[in-house]
Amino acid sequence: MKRLFCLILLLASATWRLEAQNPGWPVPDDQKGKICLVKFTPDMVKQGEAIYMKNCQSCHGIPTKKNFAAIVPSPGDLSESKVGSQKDGELFYRITTGKVPMPEFRNILTEDERWSVISFVRTYHKGYKQPDPEKLAGAAGKRIRLSMAYDTVKKKIMVKAVELSKDGPQPAKGAEVVIFIQRYFGNMQLADPKPTSEYGYAGFDWPQDLPGDKRGNVIVTARVNDPTGSMQEALVKDTLTIGVPTDKPSLTDTRAMWSTRDKAPVWVILTYTLAVLVVWYFIIYIILAVLDIRKIKQV
Amino acid sequence: MEKIVNDLSHHIRLNKGFFIWMGFLVLAFLACLYAYTRQLQYGLGVAGVRDYISWGLYISNFVFFVASSLIGMLISAVLGLIGFKWVHPITRIAETIAVAFAAVAGLVIVMDMGRPERLAYVFMYARFQSPILWDVTVITTYFVISLLLLFLPMIPDMAVLYKRFSKLPSWLKPVYKVLSLNWTDHPEQNRIIHRSVYILLILIIPAALSIHTVTSWLFALTVRPGWDSTIFGPYFVSGAFVAGSAAVIIAMYFFRRNYKLQDYLTDMHFNNMGKVLVLVAFVYLYFNINEYLVPGYKLKRADALHLHELMAGNFAVMFWLVQVGGLLIPIILLLFRRMRRPMPLTVISVAVVIGAWFKRYLIVVPTMAHPFLPVQHVPENFKVYTPTLIEIAITLLSFILVLIIITLISKFFPVIPVVETAKDKGLDPLKSIES
Ligand code: HEC
Repeated sequence: MKRLFCLILLLASATWRLEAQNPGWPVPDDQKGKICLVKFTPDMVKQGEAIYMKNCQSCHGIPTKKNFAAIVPSPGDLSESKVGSQKDGELFYRITTGKVPMPEFRNILTEDERWSVISFVRTYHKGYKQPDPEKLAGAAGKRIRLSMAYDTVKKKIMVKAVELSKDGPQPAKGAEVVIFIQRYFGNMQLADPKPTSEYGYAGFDWPQDLPGDKRGNVIVTARVNDPTGSMQEALVKDTLTIGVPTDKPSLTDTRAMWSTRDKAPVWVILTYTLAVLVVWYFIIYIILAVLDIRKIKQV
Repeated sequence: MEKIVNDLSHHIRLNKGFFIWMGFLVLAFLACLYAYTRQLQYGLGVAGVRDYISWGLYISNFVFFVASSLIGMLISAVLGLIGFKWVHPITRIAETIAVAFAAVAGLVIVMDMGRPERLAYVFMYARFQSPILWDVTVITTYFVISLLLLFLPMIPDMAVLYKRFSKLPSWLKPVYKVLSLNWTDHPEQNRIIHRSVYILLILIIPAALSIHTVTSWLFALTVRPGWDSTIFGPYFVSGAFVAGSAAVIIAMYFFRRNYKLQDYLTDMHFNNMGKVLVLVAFVYLYFNINEYLVPGYKLKRADALHLHELMAGNFAVMFWLVQVGGLLIPIILLLFRRMRRPMPLTVISVAVVIGAWFKRYLIVVPTMAHPFLPVQHVPENFKVYTPTLIEIAITLLSFILVLIIITLISKFFPVIPVVETAKDKGLDPLKSIES
């Protein structure tokens, strides 16, 4: 009786698990249908494998080897059927948003890169068939192409957005564009996001005093800000010679408190060494003197 | 003369009490050592420390140990050099405490290391700019100086006991013989000892001030609310004297009772140590007022959050118990002569030591809990710190180790300097040594 009960409980919980894919981590309905707008190619899979090895393998292990990291919640092996049975949109959402301890890859991998990881993971899922991008393209969002140039007269960076539709390219209006410049530790957003005009343009004032590298080069990235995910990601990255040429020695080139030992300030090395030498000179002197006590005999 | 030697040395033997006490310590030590093997096996994750609050019990305990060890310098050097004769019977107790705590403080740091087998890297890759290197350096130096200050005055004592204390256990005799370095009370020998001790007493003052100042810099050289303070050095040093004086008083009480030293550790000594304690406690109170009033008046945002957590938030109960029970009430009580008699003074000292330990916890942990950058995207147990059982056991381990060291030193060597006591009474125990 008891065994039967257990069996039923087990079955029930098993079916329940099948029913709800990863119940602790729901995917919003409108994200599930998202698909990749190009057919997976062997090249994509290869790129995806490289990205996987660099960004995912430390936790998820090598697919099918079940050598994923022993952390809680368990990352699991992505070749398993509970991953295989999920839709592309679900996987894409999970990789994009992450969930502690899994990092969110929204800003780490581009959309294309995320799709190539999925194309790689999919090679382990038997019976998987990629949804046809041709058929669903309309439903899954617009494709936008960006280009960028510096307008020397207006002193603005002009970003142009073109929508690729069935009837050929045409200006995309109302697409929200953000631009970033690359700094030491990441990208810095330059201004508030701006919608493109009727002709597909968005112009950003360029601050005249922004430092560039030795030649005044600055790496600028523009992208369409699309929180709803209804557009394919569009991104353009360019090196523009519009910064103030700057050639300062790097902060770690000179002797400083924060540098490595070899670049410690001279006064710190001297003070430390001198203090240690003086004090230990006396200590050793005393130890030797005390050892001498043994040799002194009563007269 | 025979009486002094006997009184001060009769405890040097293996009796039942010693075996019971050592047996207890060793068993407790082994139990706690097991906890440490767990940590070695599974890593620091078995302790409650996580990425944000990465300093917990171990580091608080480390600061407490360094603090307690400072007392050796106050008693022997400062009070001794000024010329107070009454400290003579207490100096060895103070040095014993200094040696024990300084020795174990270094181990406590190793206990806080995730990969202790890489200890050598600390030295191989040491940076001159790092306060951690300074700390390692000064603690080692202080330990060696304290050890010498404990040992040098003991040389004549061991010679006397070797010759004149008939009940010296036979297995200890060779040890005494070697350590007494052929002492014959030759004037030249006396000259060497006196000069060496004198140099050491001067050296130990900057060394002791540095160890606790540098320990305070481990905190104060970072930009964090609660640590970002220019008076952290003297704040720590004065706090150290409070903890150390109280520890010495407790030790005095136990030695007096267990080793029957009532004639040598008199009410006068307790009264005077009580005065020392209340004096340093007043200084410490003064620094406490500075530490809390100055940021509390300006209430910069991060400081406000920190002070609120301390005084009215999660740490409030501990904070007020420590400040009032561990500092304010002891100060008030100690102003009365009656409270400076051995028994009440020892009880007060116990409260002070407990308060001093928790005070270190309050200095270390709350600040770690409020970094300037928000704590986000981390599991719940990263946000608050709760010491685990293993962590507590490992902390106890360090205390047991201190007790073992103090017990061994005090059990097999005279707690009170024999020769010095005799000389203070106008006797010369060494006169007839050679004959
Ligand atoms: C820091 C460790 C870590 C890294 C790195 C990581 N993940 Fe994860 N991942 C996890 C964990 C943990 C879970 C389980 C989360 C849960 O179920 O709550 C998970 C879950 C997933 C899931 C959902 C699995 C399911 O059962 O529904 C997918 C898909 C996934 N990860 C893909 C990736 C990809 C692709 C990468 C690399 C781009 C990656 N992960 C990198 C830790 C990680």
